[in-house]
Amino acid sequence: MLFNSIDFAIFLPIVFILYWFVTDKNLKLQNFLIVVASYFFYGWWDWKFLSMILFSTIIDYSVGLKLGNEKDQTKRKVLLWISILVNLGFLGFFKYYNFFLENFSAAFSFFGTEIQTNSLNIILPVGISFYTFQTLSYTIDVYKRKLEPTKDFLAFSAFVSFFPQLVAGPIERATHLLPQFHRKRTFDYSKAVDGIRQILWGLFKKIVIADNCAKFANLIFNNSGDLNGSTLVLGALFFTFQIYGDFSGYSDIAIGTSRLFGFDLMRNFNFPYFSRDIAEFWRRWHISLSTWFRDYLYIPLGGSRGGTWMKVRNTFIIFIVSGFWHGANWTFIVWGALNAIYFLPLILTNNNRNNLEIVAKGKLLPSHRDLLSMLFTFGLTVFAWIFFRAENLGHAFNYISEIMSISLFEIPMITERRSALVTIILTSVFVIIEWLGRDQQFAIAKLGFTWEKYLRWSFYCLLAVVIFLFSGNQQDFIYFQF
Amino acid sequence: MKRFILQLSIISIFALVAIMLSLSGANGWTDPFYIRFTTPKQQSLIIGTSRAAQGLQPQIFQQLLNRDINNFAFTIAHSPFGKVYYESIKRKHNKKDGGLFIVTVDPWSISSWCESPNDLGQFRENQLCLNKTHVVDSNPNFFYLFDNLPGKYSNIFINIKSNMYLHKDGWLEVYNIKMDSATVKRRVSQKVKTYRNGYLPKTKFSSVRLEYLKKTITYLKEYGSVYVVRLPIHKNIMEIEKELMPDFDLTISEAIDLSDGYLDMTPQNDLYNYTDGNHLYSQSGEKVSMIIANWILEIDKHQTK
Repeated sequence: MLFNSIDFAIFLPIVFILYWFVTDKNLKLQNFLIVVASYFFYGWWDWKFLSMILFSTIIDYSVGLKLGNEKDQTKRKVLLWISILVNLGFLGFFKYYNFFLENFSAAFSFFGTEIQTNSLNIILPVGISFYTFQTLSYTIDVYKRKLEPTKDFLAFSAFVSFFPQLVAGPIERATHLLPQFHRKRTFDYSKAVDGIRQILWGLFKKIVIADNCAKFANLIFNNSGDLNGSTLVLGALFFTFQIYGDFSGYSDIAIGTSRLFGFDLMRNFNFPYFSRDIAEFWRRWHISLSTWFRDYLYIPLGGSRGGTWMKVRNTFIIFIVSGFWHGANWTFIVWGALNAIYFLPLILTNNNRNNLEIVAKGKLLPSHRDLLSMLFTFGLTVFAWIFFRAENLGHAFNYISEIMSISLFEIPMITERRSALVTIILTSVFVIIEWLGRDQQFAIAKLGFTWEKYLRWSFYCLLAVVIFLFSGNQQDFIYFQF
Repeated sequence: MKRFILQLSIISIFALVAIMLSLSGANGWTDPFYIRFTTPKQQSLIIGTSRAAQGLQPQIFQQLLNRDINNFAFTIAHSPFGKVYYESIKRKHNKKDGGLFIVTVDPWSISSWCESPNDLGQFRENQLCLNKTHVVDSNPNFFYLFDNLPGKYSNIFINIKSNMYLHKDGWLEVYNIKMDSATVKRRVSQKVKTYRNGYLPKTKFSSVRLEYLKKTITYLKEYGSVYVVRLPIHKNIMEIEKELMPDFDLTISEAIDLSDGYLDMTPQNDLYNYTDGNHLYSQSGEKVSMIIANWILEIDKHQTK
């Protein structure tokens, strides 16, 4: 079920009413409702893959219980590996089987040996990368004794399948989300209002910004061979805002929806395009995944403890793995590696922990220096997105080489100019609102707090009207495919 | 909780009202079809594809025949003869006697683009507005707007400078386009290319569509006079049509027999101007409408005698 669909607009109020009016007296009943609603939400796409979520839930719940009781370190390690292998096994099979097969075959061909391979027609279960990482965090935390294993199967099932964040995150930590299923939730008016506001802003980002930018990004990337350099730059910019609006919009809707049910999810985006260096960008982009890799991969690998060389090696590993997490394509691996290369000067000069505060805090405008740093970082990010969006490496390199050609100085070849102009205007307004609200949880979190009530309400109505009228053609959320 | 639900409901209602009000701003600029679903059910109709939609001007028929007639023609994708168009015509018709119906025909409107040209389930119009919109006379028509305009609602406000305007009587006027010979030649050559390379290879005669043409005429005949017309087109497009269906008149002879008269205007193709070879320019459309109106008057006179 898509957040930006009529189905969800019907589903959400029903679950909300049942949750607060029918099951509110009994925590177990509330958790049961969440599990049923979440399975229904996921089954709306394809009920067949529900068995995988259930299987993963049973395995990790059982492994967690055994880890809690087991004192023998070797046996504990075996249990941990069972969980890792089962979870990553599913992920590997569904997401990477064909990729490895094709690349092995290509490698053998390169050395003169042709081998016959049978690639499978595999459908990737929606959100598998997200819930796999979330359940892994539980097992690893229990193994490390950071968390007591839960004995409440219902609460654990609700934690694994919680519908607002099941298919595209934020990837929650068991230490943060699971205890919330053990506590009685009470309705909090201001939290719910805040949730609605965040949902509204998320819908604006997704439906108005991402879907409208997607139209032009797709048009340009799909016909890049026939277009000049300046058009391709526009295409990369459209994709830059598409992916941000799409994914951060999803996260906003997920976080807002959770708040309606009394839950707090971790923040996933913190105005990344206002970053002054690439390290800051990665502290602000897809935070739940970046911190997951930091905690469960970078630190176990030694983190920054082994000197500069170790830091560089580990940085490259997590960026390449992170790229590969996004999809079984060399484009994602190059995208990850490129970001690691961007990181390199900061690590070598020990400047990767600068810029911890939001830019120009308390000021209306940034300094010249900050502005230049932001533009430079933004440029690097846009360049890297070309690899992320391209069909394959050849496509990416051709795209970049056309940008580097003299045709960069030609007039962009955009069809539907009026519609493109409207999209650019809407995106510019969006960037201004984001800038003004950059020290908040989300851009409109505090917008209009000092206004008269009728003005504030009018603003929400206006936003709803704008979302409706300027909706682009409905597109799936990009991150569902990961 | 009550406060939250109450406030949310109030804001939602206001937002919904604001959305409805915005949508009611949809007009002839919004898209080339919307207005046809907002006018009342009609006694007299012009039926066909975009050639009729752009070519036949109801106000000319009104002046010469003194009868209100509505242009309910769409495009070759939306309204070739078939179940979808037939049902929609029935919905738009007010079931009153004494109607006047001009049914325009051409080889494309009795052909299909699908593998099995007679498989109704594969017809391209099944996914389009005529099949999706069952309410055809509501103003504003939210059913049409919700089902057919998603992703394009902003057209209501920003499409004002479009060079197409759909009049209340259903005539789709194309104006403010360059009509110098070089530009027209380029557009004609582009259209010919599209028809020859794009449409011709995938187009197959459909006996089911022909049956629906007959069915449409039979239905309309119950309520008035039905005149079948083949509109003029550019000679280069005509050549393609001859390749597609060399014996077109013979093919539709049974349909012609059901009607009150058939006027083939293609022998006069060279007398008119076209915007792109397929569609009459408005001034030529006016002339053609006058010729058809006078032809109908003549037939009426003969029948009265």
